[in-house]
Amino acid sequence: MNFKNHDKQQYIIDTANAFTRKQITKREFLRKMGLAGIGFSAFGASMLGGHRRLGGLTGIDPAYATTPGQMRDFLREAGRPFAGTTIRYTSEATPPTVVANELKGEFTELTGIEVEIEIVPLEQVLAKATQDVQGELGTYDLYYLDQAWHATFARDTIDPVQYYNDKPELAMPDFDFADFSEPLVEGISKIGDKWVGVPFDIPIFTLMYRRDILEKHGIAVPTTYDEFTAAVQFITEAERENGIYGTGLQARSGHYSLECDWSQAVWGHGGSIFRADGTFSGNDAEGVAGLEWYQELLRNAPASSLESTWDGQFQMMAAGQVALVQSWDEFFPGLDADGSDVQGLWEMTIPLIGPHTLRDRADAGYGEIPDWGHQGGSSIALSRYSKNPDAAWLFLQWVTSKEMMVQLTLGGGFAPMRNSSYADQRILDKAVVGPGTTRHLPVVLETIEKYIASEPDMPLWAGLSSNEIPTELGKLLTGQDYDGNAQACADQIAQIVDAATADAGLR
Amino acid sequence: MTETTITSTGPQQPRKLWTMPRWLTSEHPFPWVFPTTATLIVFGLYPILYAVWLSLHRRHPVTRENQFNPEWNWSRVFADERVWDAIAVTYMYTSVAIVIQLALGLAIALLLDSERRGFGLMRALMTLPLVVPPAVTGMMFLLMYNNSFGVISRSLQHIGLMGTDTPLLATGSTALWAIMVADTWQWTPFMVLIMLAGLRALPKDPFEAAAIDGANAWQAFTRLTLPMLSKIIAIAVLIRGIDLFRVYDYVKVMTDGGPGTATETLTAYAGKIYFGSANFPYASAVAILTLVLVIITANIFIKVFKVRF
Repeated sequence: MNFKNHDKQQYIIDTANAFTRKQITKREFLRKMGLAGIGFSAFGASMLGGHRRLGGLTGIDPAYATTPGQMRDFLREAGRPFAGTTIRYTSEATPPTVVANELKGEFTELTGIEVEIEIVPLEQVLAKATQDVQGELGTYDLYYLDQAWHATFARDTIDPVQYYNDKPELAMPDFDFADFSEPLVEGISKIGDKWVGVPFDIPIFTLMYRRDILEKHGIAVPTTYDEFTAAVQFITEAERENGIYGTGLQARSGHYSLECDWSQAVWGHGGSIFRADGTFSGNDAEGVAGLEWYQELLRNAPASSLESTWDGQFQMMAAGQVALVQSWDEFFPGLDADGSDVQGLWEMTIPLIGPHTLRDRADAGYGEIPDWGHQGGSSIALSRYSKNPDAAWLFLQWVTSKEMMVQLTLGGGFAPMRNSSYADQRILDKAVVGPGTTRHLPVVLETIEKYIASEPDMPLWAGLSSNEIPTELGKLLTGQDYDGNAQACADQIAQIVDAATADAGLR
Repeated sequence: MTETTITSTGPQQPRKLWTMPRWLTSEHPFPWVFPTTATLIVFGLYPILYAVWLSLHRRHPVTRENQFNPEWNWSRVFADERVWDAIAVTYMYTSVAIVIQLALGLAIALLLDSERRGFGLMRALMTLPLVVPPAVTGMMFLLMYNNSFGVISRSLQHIGLMGTDTPLLATGSTALWAIMVADTWQWTPFMVLIMLAGLRALPKDPFEAAAIDGANAWQAFTRLTLPMLSKIIAIAVLIRGIDLFRVYDYVKVMTDGGPGTATETLTAYAGKIYFGSANFPYASAVAILTLVLVIITANIFIKVFKVRF
């Protein structure tokens, strides 16, 4: 980098920091960016606070990304043989993927490797990845793998740790696998001893609450399931006339989001999805208690909860319709965005704990981890069938490197996967109310370290969690079947799931 | 390849070493039929045969191997409660939507069948919904039905036809109807166009004779227009009916088959097995069943209504 470029990038970073700290206005920020030759599209500009968005993406410009000199030299050198290669990656529109898509130009500039990122809905990601591995096609070099799919794809990916050791000429200096949060690696990336992919996204359940509404009614921040239920009922009763409900849910029938809510409800009441012998246990007393609790929450939530996935749940929070939500931490930066009606009003704390006792991991099946904070993380994995594994491996290292993890977090405000990122001064500096805030990250880190819960690692889980289970739950919650009887619904799910696991020879 | 015989007698013929086989010349039908036939085989027949072949396999969910086991999927298809539910939903959707679209299409066509000023523009405007991709239409209605901010839901709530606690798309009793509205908005113009073409092609003489005999408009419509239009109506119903039977886009975008299975049509269920569970052989079995049902239903319709092409 020459001095002119260095000065320009320093100027851009200083200006961005000043804007983040509210030392300059948006108009001034855009004017300065204009002087620096950075053009913002209307869309990008609007993302600086005009619109609400899941994850609070701040419309980071590629110029923010400053790949350190050592990494730049490495990428130039290692990437030279692959210049002109195109690699493909398919993913859901998760915050890190969206920001990475904006920043990938710098990787291409350094290596000459083109990166195509296909962003599609979650179920299509699954279908595309499944077709690819079924035919061993190698259409995609990198897969986005939701934590629920890891067992399904474990044998279709290359272990990144092994690849790092096997290919020293492609090993990025200071990549440091040990820097990834250990609970995340266990929950998101590893099946047995194998790393299926590198952790790339960690939405996790935390408790979010409207400080002003709780203060208005003199309600203490709930810490247990019982306190939460009481607070939700009280607020609904008191505020329904004002269009405000106690909570909002992601209860869309047949969608994975409903399964996520349900599994946390079961764990939170001392249950688990599977027993140690591999049979379904969501229909035992604890499981049914969890489902009945969820039915009660639904009575204290906007009716649109039934048609909402995570996007709809975020919209309820951003629109000021709900007061208490236990859900994905990634909502939080968007709530703090400029122009948000609820900017600075939402706070975050650790997920609800007790009064029930968690079921022991040893009593659950298929590697399930019952705990208080449902994680919905994902990893980015190198396909075993890739036609360009080395070029894809370079991109994978770049996008999950220490520096990029910080850049992605600054751009998206979501929780980083590396321990070092949480201590990075740039991230600490953004821990203020505003777009792309990081002020919630200490809570997220605590939840990851102490309370992370994981769904089962089993090959059938991708289908069961996004089809059979949420469909039957939807019948119950919308009154299509079971006449409100949670036990009957759970028993039916048990019958379906147990038949499937028996057919598959899993028990 | 054939070679000509060179003889020593007679006038000198030009030496021809090779002539094109007759079946490759323009005199033979083969070169004319081959491109179309090949296209049909590759893009029409092969996928169907492949789906049939796939449906005869059992996919092991752990090993992901497809093992030949003809009974596995087909015995399950008929024992699967969701298949039977989906068949019921599909027939319900098709039959109700076709009646609404036919009635509306015919009524609008009768209104627009005029040469007066401005009617041409109205006929042109009618076609606009047809150019919107169905998935976009689904998304549009999804937003308009949103229980919190959707214009349709808010309006219905405002006039008291709907409560705030019954989201249209998340209530079993209303979701299918809500999808039909989107479908009807988009495809009624198709019916209008066909009916208009039919109306324009009707001979004028019978109507003039009826008018002289003192028939009123209703009598002319029921005794002349409808009988003479019956073949057009039958063909329109057949085409639209087959299309409705395969509905996927609206269901996928607006409800994904929910709530529960209230809007799960056969194609939506097949899609869910395919995309959600990645059980390609079973999804193929459901898809083939859909094809068989379409063929049977369409042929019954053709027989009953004596449709001739």
